[in-house]
Amino acid sequence: MIAPKKGNYQGNPSHLLPSELIDRCIGSRMWVIMKGDKELVGTLRGFDVYVNMVLEDVTEIEDTPEGKKLTKLDQILLNGNNIAVLVPGGKPDFL
Amino acid sequence: MEDAGVSTGVTKTPAEFLKAIKGKAVLVKLNSGVDYRGILACLDGYMNIAMEQTEVGDWDMRSWEEYVNGQLKNKYGDAFIRGNNVLYISAINKT
Amino acid sequence: MADDGETATVKEPLDLIRLSLDERIYVKLRGERELRGRLHAYDQHLNMILGEVEETLTTVEIDDETYEEIIKTQKRVIPFLFVRGDGVILVSPPLRS
Repeated sequence: MIAPKKGNYQGNPSHLLPSELIDRCIGSRMWVIMKGDKELVGTLRGFDVYVNMVLEDVTEIEDTPEGKKLTKLDQILLNGNNIAVLVPGGKPDFL
Repeated sequence: MEDAGVSTGVTKTPAEFLKAIKGKAVLVKLNSGVDYRGILACLDGYMNIAMEQTEVGDWDMRSWEEYVNGQLKNKYGDAFIRGNNVLYISAINKT
Repeated sequence: MADDGETATVKEPLDLIRLSLDERIYVKLRGERELRGRLHAYDQHLNMILGEVEETLTTVEIDDETYEEIIKTQKRVIPFLFVRGDGVILVSPPLRS
């Protein structure tokens, strides 16, 4: 675990390393946008230095000519190689 | 489930996930969209995957099945998948 | 991983390739390319030397009038070649007995 930062980090925001931010998201929902037209939403269970991630209760969202295709998966290991963006908190309903 | 299994609320690193799914039924999805289903023989840190034909099993998954656009295209006894093509590895239930 | 010599066990994925040396293998490459040939050598990147290779190229064309998909395969034989590992998707060895 990462030691809690003293107070709220209103000083230099980069006191929080990107990997620390992801570590703080373990156990919560995460929206993952891949390079290309694929997205996944799931509960983050763990990750490693390559940001390979173990996700639970996953919905995979694919853009196809027939519209959005959703796939549900219990638990996956997602390869970090093609991840573009991580959004802590999951995918907002209005999107 | 057993050992490093799916206990909710517990951190699970990619390495632990890989240990836990060896010998289990898995779905491997590649970046190209091609799916493979079968019993995982072994894998390494690059997510290189060895798919082996199994002689045992209570279920019709002794060989590996390749699906393109959801359609069964091929069956393999043994095969190796180069890890850079892997999008995710998911444990699947025998249903 | 320790190198445990010439044992016939698959402890890590690359063992599957080691067991296929001097055998005919199937290689699926990016860009709808397939190779069938004899595996002479490989390394950890999956760069490979293959001999007596048959290459199959698959292309899909859409018919201008009917919009039907026309799948075409071209084959050619290459005596000896080097495969760069980063293009490899899948390698399937012959069935082991």
